[in-house]
Amino acid sequence: MDPTIKDFEAAIAELETIVKKLEEGDLPLETSLELYERGVTLSRYCHGQLEAAERRIDVLNERGDAKPASPALGLDRDDDA
Amino acid sequence: MRRLPLTVSQLSARLRNVVEETFDEIWVQGEISGGRTWNSGHFYFTLKDANAQIKGVVFRSTLRLLKFKPTDGLCVTVRGRISVYEPKGEYQLVCEHLEPQGLGELQLAFEQLKKKLAAEGLFAETRKRPLPALPRRIGIVTSIDGAALRDIVRVLRRRYPNAHLVISPTRVQGEGASGEIARALRLVARIDHVDVVIVGRGGGSLEDLWAFNEEIVARAIAACPIPVISAVGHETDVTIADFAADLRAPTPSAAAEMVVRQKDEFTAHIRRLVQQLRAAMLNRVRRFDSRLHALQARPGFAGYPGRMAWRSRHVGELTSDLKHAARGAIAARRRRLETARRTLDQFDPRHRLARVRATLVGQDVRLRGAATRRLHRVQGRFRELAAHLDGLSPLAVLGRGYAVCWDGERTRIVRDAESVAPGDPIRVTLERGEIRARVTDS
Repeated sequence: MDPTIKDFEAAIAELETIVKKLEEGDLPLETSLELYERGVTLSRYCHGQLEAAERRIDVLNERGDAKPASPALGLDRDDDA
Repeated sequence: MRRLPLTVSQLSARLRNVVEETFDEIWVQGEISGGRTWNSGHFYFTLKDANAQIKGVVFRSTLRLLKFKPTDGLCVTVRGRISVYEPKGEYQLVCEHLEPQGLGELQLAFEQLKKKLAAEGLFAETRKRPLPALPRRIGIVTSIDGAALRDIVRVLRRRYPNAHLVISPTRVQGEGASGEIARALRLVARIDHVDVVIVGRGGGSLEDLWAFNEEIVARAIAACPIPVISAVGHETDVTIADFAADLRAPTPSAAAEMVVRQKDEFTAHIRRLVQQLRAAMLNRVRRFDSRLHALQARPGFAGYPGRMAWRSRHVGELTSDLKHAARGAIAARRRRLETARRTLDQFDPRHRLARVRATLVGQDVRLRGAATRRLHRVQGRFRELAAHLDGLSPLAVLGRGYAVCWDGERTRIVRDAESVAPGDPIRVTLERGEIRARVTDS
């Protein structure tokens, strides 16, 4: 994980700022390219986060420990049609 | 008739027998006033109407069973009995059961708790927290075999297939359910990465939903360290839990939609930003590109290496420097562009990849000429130089039939016939080629 990116929300905010700068500012090409590369890194991070969660259902037991849901509960069937 | 006086005790005992047998189970209605709960936990009050009043008590054991709290001004119907307290010669109404007139008992309890918690600021808008942009794990507090859980899971699976759900099972109705709900909420909030919790149940009667109107649940929601979405019953059911939650969902399915709507919105937002990013970057490159083209199109600039022979040593060196500088900068630019292009290719292979790549290859060629700040700096020097060279360019003159005459060493242009003598070698540059000659007369 990129240590310069704090979290998803921060990444979005920075990406927005970069787009604004690139669109508005009359920056040297070098700076533009740096910003662009940073923007690509940020957007990859965001996409990664969006897909990062693990498909999974846990159920807490009496003591509050998370255990995978029993298939007998029938919660995660894909018969959604 | 002989007088047989009774003692006060005897009289009191008789009165007591008569009164308590006669008024063993009665229903009375009136307004509560002067109510007060003593340290013993019993509630003492006066029940009155326009013309009369009677003292009354609700013992602690009875008080505990009431959903609502008896307060002054409340009109109630009481079931109870009359009890005589001989030591003080007093009688009072001992309440076995109380119910409010007008509003039902549950409605009254609801209103009372709502008012109390609102006064504490528990429902204040400033307490409401925004939902996380992207919950890493979603907590669900409800019955493990209820319809609500099935609804929530179905919606989440459809709209956010890879979501990680953590279910904290609890009873949601019946005696003690409220305590269990509060506990289940505390447990799930402790699980790592659970960023939002849905707490709720499917539809039912007011009594079925009652646990969500109890103070312990409202307080657990308010104390929860992460945002809580309440989802109790149907759209028309409003509970105390709804007021305490950060967000109220009309139904359990809607709660699930609220959680994943965030994901959909962000996906679209990021896609938009990336498009803007690309467009802005290409626009920048095009502007640099057209400036460079304008510069290169100047007469006397194109094909300059072939003409360097005409220029002084100084000009030749300067040009060589510039070429070297430009080449180095171009190589660096090119490496970075390659990196950027690879990054971009990996980033979203499905998204109009072919078009993007084609554009980038085109931009690569342009960037080689344009994309360097160093080159940009030397462009200024080039421009001056080019303007200067335009003026000096002899080619156009030679093309019209003129020639340039040099001395024999080709270090000096012969401008004056007096400067050479017969026999001196000279060189003559024509439009095409050069002649070595000797002066015969001057």
